[in-house]
Amino acid sequence: MSEYRAIRVEKGSGGFGGPLTIQGTEKKNKVMYITGGGVAPEILPKIVELTGLEPVNGFKTSAPEDELALVIIDCGGTLRCGLYPKKRIPTININPVGKAGPLAQFIKEDIYVSGVTNANISLADPAEAAAAADAAATTETAADAPAEAEEKKGGIDTSKKLSEQMAESGNGNMLAKIGLGAGKVVATFNQAARDAVQTAINTLLPFMAFVSMLIGIINGTGFGTFFSGILQPLLGSIPGLLVLGIICSIPGLSAILGPGAVISQILGGIMGAEIAAGRISPSLALVGLFALNCHAACDFIPVGLGLAEAETETVEVGVMSVMYSRFITSWVRVLLAVVFSIGMYAA
Amino acid sequence: MDFLVKFASAFMGVFQLGGEQFMGWVTGIIPTILMLLVMMNAVIALIGDERIEVIAKVCTSNPLLRYAVLPWLSAFMLGNPMALSMGKFMPEFYKPSYYAAASYHCHTNSGIFPHINPSEILIYLGIAQGVTALGLDATPLALRYMLVGFIANFISGWVTDFTTAFVEKQQGVRLSRELHTKA
Repeated sequence: MSEYRAIRVEKGSGGFGGPLTIQGTEKKNKVMYITGGGVAPEILPKIVELTGLEPVNGFKTSAPEDELALVIIDCGGTLRCGLYPKKRIPTININPVGKAGPLAQFIKEDIYVSGVTNANISLADPAEAAAAADAAATTETAADAPAEAEEKKGGIDTSKKLSEQMAESGNGNMLAKIGLGAGKVVATFNQAARDAVQTAINTLLPFMAFVSMLIGIINGTGFGTFFSGILQPLLGSIPGLLVLGIICSIPGLSAILGPGAVISQILGGIMGAEIAAGRISPSLALVGLFALNCHAACDFIPVGLGLAEAETETVEVGVMSVMYSRFITSWVRVLLAVVFSIGMYAA
Repeated sequence: MDFLVKFASAFMGVFQLGGEQFMGWVTGIIPTILMLLVMMNAVIALIGDERIEVIAKVCTSNPLLRYAVLPWLSAFMLGNPMALSMGKFMPEFYKPSYYAAASYHCHTNSGIFPHINPSEILIYLGIAQGVTALGLDATPLALRYMLVGFIANFISGWVTDFTTAFVEKQQGVRLSRELHTKA
């Protein structure tokens, strides 16, 4: 136990969450990093040195979730930043990203910290370390005995509304059952609406604002004419889009371009603006959709395979395999799009 | 002084242009997307995840079901990233291929079903908005995106079977082709 030391990780500038206290145990003795297509993050050596945890490259291999004391990611604000917090594995994001993406509701201060640099990492003071060690020990025992927690259901649970508890206990009268049944449908739609609005606020609006500003700068500074001079040959012609698709899917590069589909989304926004301005033909829209996204999800392979409960060697093989297949099929996809664009928005 | 005034108005002009673009997207895109999201979220919650798991187990047997039908259904029902988890019903060897197909399905269907991948929707919407701005209907684009995607994603998934076999040889491992049932 003593070989693992607790560290304190605070949020960096523009970051969110934390401070987290990370303490390894005999069982939870690994730190996994899923960053930059497999390049070790700057903060990794310091964390390994201070904590005594064993580093694991999530792009090369994987580790059972219950052995992870910490995950380091570089997510731009879509999936990964919420995935590990959802599983309650302490997560460091080296990008300054707050509650964002479809899993935003799981990103909380007590499990997630972002914008972290070396300066934000220090040894925890002994009192905190002891508390963290206790917490680590309790989570382990708690995982061993989930049955105990289940037994609490009997009394009135303060964390739930009375109506929900009635629904669970199932001994309400007829009227209550009808009421609850109708209530459930209404509640489902209401929750669906709440989730939808959250998605709009957390992911759609911020991205729109960001790309709008870029487009404003591009169009407002006269930079646009210059810029579309460069992009026109790439975005504005079939051979250009084909080349773009192939370049984006080069194994390795594809993983770096991937996170959050940010680059694809920016190019999509720009291409749309160019189409609206009449500088690119709308008949290229479909080809563009395929070309801009040939490298889709190449950054996400280890995590995605993890979701499919793949074994370690499958992840090792899969990362390379999917990157190769993306590269091999990129031109096929673009050409398919070319063929199926015939007759669409013909000038 | 004249220079300063010009500079300041140009400076503001940049952000006004950006604001107009933003307003166009907010009023043109958000309302419809929001309604679709509400409906889709509710439908999915009412159908439930369990039913798709039943289908998933049936779909592992042949490539067409594995890389076209199942990933499409999973993307529709579960969205990104949970659609990728359906790969767990495959033998290890086919998991990378399923991933290759399913992750594409989380994009190509987003023209018609934006709930699948709302955080990466701007790839489609950015381009579609340009088409709409010209007074054209974006529906053919969305429909073709999905249909071409259906074919292309199947090819991408299937090709991955071969690249997986190649990488297996390269790395000197052999992944299981059989599905072993876990306890």
